[in-house]
Amino acid sequence: MSKTRTRRLAITGTALVLCMGLVTAGSSIVVAGATTHTPGVTAHQITIGATVPTTGIASAGYNEVGKAANAVFKYVNSKGGINHRKIKFILKDDCYGTPGFGCTGNPSTVAQTRALLSVPVFATVGSLGTPTQDAVRSLLKSNGVPQLFVNSGSRDWNNPSAYPGLFGWQTSYNEESKVFAKYINATYPGAAVCFLGQGDDFGADGLAGLVGGGVTPADTQLYSVAALVATSGASFGPYIAKFQSDKCTVVVLDTIPGATDAALGAALQLGYSPHWVISSVGSDPATVEAPFAGKVPVDPEVGAVSWSYLPASTSSSAWIPWMRKVLGADKADFPGFSSTTTLDGNMAYGVGFGVAFVEALKATGANFTRASFLKTLTHTTFTQTPSLVPLQYTPSNHQGLNGGYLTTITSATATAALDGKVYTTDSTPNGPVVSAKRLSSGIPSWLK
Amino acid sequence: MDPFLTSRIMSDVLSGVTNGVIYGLVALSLVLVWRCTGILNFAQGAMPMFATYLGMVIFSSHLGYWACVAISMGAGFAIGGVTERVLVRHLYGKPELNPIVVMVGFLIVLEGVAAAIWSTQPRSFPNPFSTIDWQLGGKPIALSDFSVYKIVTAVIVMTAVAVLFRFTKLGLQLRASALAPEVSRLLGVRVSRMLTLGWVLSMGVGTITTVLVASNFFTGLTPQVMDGVFAFGFIAAAVGGLDSPVGAIISGLCIGVTLQFVGDYLNSNAILLVALAILIVSLMIRPNGLFTKSSARRV
Amino acid sequence: MNLLFERRRTILTVSAIVLAVAIAALAASTTRDAVAISVAIALVIAGIAAITSKDVRATHPVFTRAALTVTIVVASLVGTFYFSPTTNFNLAIGAAMSIVLLGLSFLTGASGQISLGNGAFMGVGALIMAIWANHHATTPIAITLLIAVAGGAVTGLLLGLPATRLRGPYLAGMTLAFAFAFTAIVNSFSSWTGGDAGLQLPNAATPPHWLVSLFTSPTSLFATNTMWLTDITIVVTGVAFFLMANLFSSRMGRAMRLIRDNDVAAELVGVALPRARVIAFIVSSAYAALGGALWTLINNSVSPPTYSFALSITILSLLVIGGIGTIPGAIIGGIIYAYSASVISWITSQTGLNPQGNFASQLNGIIFGGLLILTMLFAPMGIAGAVRRLWMRRHARSSP
Repeated sequence: MSKTRTRRLAITGTALVLCMGLVTAGSSIVVAGATTHTPGVTAHQITIGATVPTTGIASAGYNEVGKAANAVFKYVNSKGGINHRKIKFILKDDCYGTPGFGCTGNPSTVAQTRALLSVPVFATVGSLGTPTQDAVRSLLKSNGVPQLFVNSGSRDWNNPSAYPGLFGWQTSYNEESKVFAKYINATYPGAAVCFLGQGDDFGADGLAGLVGGGVTPADTQLYSVAALVATSGASFGPYIAKFQSDKCTVVVLDTIPGATDAALGAALQLGYSPHWVISSVGSDPATVEAPFAGKVPVDPEVGAVSWSYLPASTSSSAWIPWMRKVLGADKADFPGFSSTTTLDGNMAYGVGFGVAFVEALKATGANFTRASFLKTLTHTTFTQTPSLVPLQYTPSNHQGLNGGYLTTITSATATAALDGKVYTTDSTPNGPVVSAKRLSSGIPSWLK
Repeated sequence: MDPFLTSRIMSDVLSGVTNGVIYGLVALSLVLVWRCTGILNFAQGAMPMFATYLGMVIFSSHLGYWACVAISMGAGFAIGGVTERVLVRHLYGKPELNPIVVMVGFLIVLEGVAAAIWSTQPRSFPNPFSTIDWQLGGKPIALSDFSVYKIVTAVIVMTAVAVLFRFTKLGLQLRASALAPEVSRLLGVRVSRMLTLGWVLSMGVGTITTVLVASNFFTGLTPQVMDGVFAFGFIAAAVGGLDSPVGAIISGLCIGVTLQFVGDYLNSNAILLVALAILIVSLMIRPNGLFTKSSARRV
Repeated sequence: MNLLFERRRTILTVSAIVLAVAIAALAASTTRDAVAISVAIALVIAGIAAITSKDVRATHPVFTRAALTVTIVVASLVGTFYFSPTTNFNLAIGAAMSIVLLGLSFLTGASGQISLGNGAFMGVGALIMAIWANHHATTPIAITLLIAVAGGAVTGLLLGLPATRLRGPYLAGMTLAFAFAFTAIVNSFSSWTGGDAGLQLPNAATPPHWLVSLFTSPTSLFATNTMWLTDITIVVTGVAFFLMANLFSSRMGRAMRLIRDNDVAAELVGVALPRARVIAFIVSSAYAALGGALWTLINNSVSPPTYSFALSITILSLLVIGGIGTIPGAIIGGIIYAYSASVISWITSQTGLNPQGNFASQLNGIIFGGLLILTMLFAPMGIAGAVRRLWMRRHARSSP
């Protein structure tokens, strides 16, 4: 019996002690982000972050993008930073928001974004993925954190009235499709065209752009990423077989690299070789050709036409050697990067938006807030960027780049400009495609 | 004849059969383990995957395709035997949940270790057979050197297993060890050795299947390569009945053909839905699988 | 002797209340008023529960459970005031997961059925929550949660009816097929579900004004918002656990355990087997749906690819490690889920591994799978079961 009493006293005593502890702890309420200065910015450092897929099945190639942007920041830091502030770039892995066995227990995009907010970061720069970034839009907005240069061509990032801090960077899906349509009508007039697109806004926007640009496909198929993964690409066989029986001579692919592979592979099996026109999202040869290496005499992507808003790796733009210099200087993330290493589309992409951020930061000046930074961003035209056309945002347009040129895949690792003509167009389905009046000029002296 | 062979229906049938033999093989290996040792092996796709990586990555740079396959098979036998001795031993006679959970844990560990060592980037597995479809009068027929190789290999393996089980003394010993271990021991059968052999055999079938799947030239070898195939194979085994090797093969083929038609005439989402529907309907008709001999009712 | 104990008990109760009032008075300043008073209330109830003798626990079990639940909930709510947003977020995610684990604990442990599809049931609840909130933004959160639970229950009924006739591997197979087919179902109705991209909630849930006014020092919307979501989750979790605890020990719970151990005997005793099995399925899927709906609320969005077969496996694994068929097991599993990523990154930083490298990114899975194997081989009843065994052994040894 005495044991029970001792137990009771012990429990009551513990509860008392706990209560005392809580009350005393109450004198220091934990507060997050309640500072008067700009979060993420000190006199010597500015902290930014991004959620990117670095592991898992969907990460193929994408893990290079964040590292390449970081290489730009490291290079700028080595020259003293911007206005004496060094840039700290925190990358968080979100497995593209699809936790599978390759990513067991990995925190979700929301969790990783919250982790960035807790640091705190000044802004997110170059986070990847349409569904993943849609999911955190309202979280970032309600906390006043700018969401910059989202790595996706969706038009969701161009919504200034609802999300004033949200910006895209690359050209949108329907912009490239309109230029594809112009090219197809000029090069293959009257041909039967078939379209294979992803079953979300990637495919829908692409198709709308194609139709608005003047090409109505004879057959349209949409695929789901889940079925692609579940059947290891075998589900694409019937789509390509249909295109073949429709006698399409031109096939437009709005596909991610894995789906491009499935389509090209299915066509190889059927002995079907149309003219391929592939979205910039899924055309990077280094990524797409990898599974075919050594198995086929001619890489199936060679000869395909694609779109690029950055100079092709074989072009003579002054930015290409600069990219090589910057990546080569980053020994930690790009060990052994030499003059013969392939400079693929993912690396160029990362450098592209990295430079965009650095230039915007420089243009804003030494003392800035989030609001003044966004104001600079929407009132400046950046003409000295790696992209083919200048980067310009306005208070009513946050989409990003609006021009580029057509490229052709020349080998398993390289692309070249098709005819070098740079076009611009807007994000509406029917807006005209015109030759670019203004092209980017060289590298700013402070960045060289 | 020509128009029929190149018609859409025939293409679907042929492609369906090519897929179906793979599902049938996976189902067969599951049935083998179940019949020989009473364990449901959730790692049936992951264990051969690991063996295939060993065979391909460690030795592939200078050897040809057949050498890689042979090494993978050897690794598969070894993994199967070691797993049975070390891990599965402790699971006999335990409640149903235990082996499932342990093998799922093993699946996670294997895929994690494979990804840690070799990364999740797809590797291209060498393939000596052309995957270009044959042409008949200018139109493609849904057969290629590679698909014929798949079908022929599957038929050989299935026949070998059937012969082993039905007509050899070893097969009888295997079956007896599972059904009546005490009696078998009394009759001089080395029961524990038979249990190990059951796993080794099932790994043999599994490794051949994984090699065939990984040779699929545009997806390559990844740690998750067998996940989707395992799901369909498991469904085929459940539909056919875990006790019936014949049922496993037949239901694998039927499911392969049916799903090919579904994917072609409907859409790719319907594939998974129809698979679920087939499973539910067949389990409603016969809760222990379509081809199982009905067991005695208790009480 | 009896009279003496009565007096002791009364003295203890009175002392506890006096102390509570004293502390509330000492801590009286405008800001911490409400905080301190709630602490005091918790203390009083803790005192009552501590004093409650074994007799009361036997004759008033529901009251004891309610008191215990309220104590833990109130203490946690007080905690959320002080925790950082990251801790609050992890707590909320873990609590919602523990609800799911509780449902599976009932199904597997109490009625012996295997389900590999609870991730998909979570997804059902999560999607219903998001779809409803998008179409009827003014519905109170509690009602929307109930609607999601109802949806989960209906799905459980649809799957549970065929499941009654199935055993072991075949039941596992059916639930596995459902888990895989869930993604296909989501994509087939992508105009409703948003397909792979999912849906966002129209407005982030904001805390009521009286709660925010409890802070004197400036605090951010981020912090108060997170705290509010965590508070909602904790209260819902408390209610869910309370209901389940009562269900476990009710006649139905006992019938379920009889079915698990010996279904022939159960039939003889008069338990309607199919009905009990279906009910177990419905309960488990309703709980899973509730957990998923809470995740949607906390994340302010739903991403259908999250609710994959891999999640179903994770759920089963967490429960096995925590302890199948137990209530503490569900809590342990939830804690593990919430903190496994932080523990892994701590291990990575301690051992100097490259955090972006292959090995570090797979470490979570490898440790998890290894833990699963070891638990099932050496401690099949999980952590909760092992602790209980140790406790029993100690008690058995000490009794004369």
